[in-house]
Amino acid sequence: MIDLIVFLTLLALGYGAGTWAEKRHYRSIAQREEATINLPAVTLKSVAVPEDNIRASRLVCGSAVISVDYFKRILAGLRNIFGGKVKSYESLVDRARREAVLRMKEMAGDATVIVNVRIETAAIGKQSRRKNIGCLEAVAYGTALTVAK
Amino acid sequence: MKFTARRIPTNVNVSRTHPLREFAILAGGLLAIAVGLYLALGLAVDLIVPRISMNLEKKLAGAFVGRLAESDQASDATRSVQAIVDKLQARCALLPYTITVHVQPADAVNAAALPGGHMVVFTGLLEKMTSENELAFVLAHELGHFAHRDHLRGLGRALVLLTVSTVLLGADNDINGMIGQGMQLTELNFSRTQETRADEFALETLACHYGHVTGATDFFDKIPAEADPGRFGHYFASHPQNRRRIDHLKTMARQRGYPSGDLRPLPADLAASDASSP
Repeated sequence: MIDLIVFLTLLALGYGAGTWAEKRHYRSIAQREEATINLPAVTLKSVAVPEDNIRASRLVCGSAVISVDYFKRILAGLRNIFGGKVKSYESLVDRARREAVLRMKEMAGDATVIVNVRIETAAIGKQSRRKNIGCLEAVAYGTALTVAK
Repeated sequence: MKFTARRIPTNVNVSRTHPLREFAILAGGLLAIAVGLYLALGLAVDLIVPRISMNLEKKLAGAFVGRLAESDQASDATRSVQAIVDKLQARCALLPYTITVHVQPADAVNAAALPGGHMVVFTGLLEKMTSENELAFVLAHELGHFAHRDHLRGLGRALVLLTVSTVLLGADNDINGMIGQGMQLTELNFSRTQETRADEFALETLACHYGHVTGATDFFDKIPAEADPGRFGHYFASHPQNRRRIDHLKTMARQRGYPSGDLRPLPADLAASDASSP
């Protein structure tokens, strides 16, 4: 009985806190994406700019670690039984990727463009024996170019 | 190539399904499957019981026998009860089982029939007994459960799990051990009809063995109105039902013309254990 109460409390807490954090994060993401919309981050390896015009080029990267909440983990656990799209983890991956790109852009400062952008993800705490602390890391990196007008 | 800044109108990477809705569907589905399985197990009991061979039943017994052997009292009391059972079985209660009696120290005023012909008698029951006839009735009642194979049905859903795991994994597997350990021997479930049939069997056995049925209902009269039902197990049922069982036995004795006669005293070993108890 106690176990059930603990479980339901964690579930409600996970859902409440998780949803609140996620909404807040998405608001912040939307706002900052809007602010940095004029700094393009592209996957192209080069841009059609004469080499003499490039004033600076440097590696920029951004990384973000997002944790799963209890509710999402249980939901994913249920999905593990039945199979199908693990929808509860989709928003985590999405948030991690977009946050990483935003931080990369922040690092780029007043650069003109970021080329050769790559995004990689890694699971953190997956191997820890006692409990599966499901954290997701996304790393975005690229080359920031400052081009003379 | 000219770069044009564009906002992405919708997020294609995140599903729109509300998480609570998904949770309700998945958890509900799991619950429905569990409930369905539980009901199916209940139905499977009646299907499976007639198909359990003696050989298989002996294997099922393995789940309990180890535990019984641990706390078995290889005492004079066990031998005396075994002797009564053997006498009943020799002539009057012909069963395909070789009954092994286990006397277990417990307060429960109860006896239980387990797979493989193992009969558990709790010391609480022996303490309440005043005559051999009375004890013989209770033992014959348990023999009646064996005769109708109620002892298998009494295990309920555990029987299905036990049978499946024994057939698939062999007699000594972990699942059987777990079920054997978890089973409350006093909590076997019998239906009203099963009890009545066992009562009838016991009365016939008593009439056959002693030539009369005096003492048959003595035990029921001893169950006090405010007794703790847990202690009396399947002999208790509810009080009105006990009344009904006594009446049924008396009517049956009258209809069949069973005479009354003298009670036999308890064997010395049991009487002694009776006197020494507080």
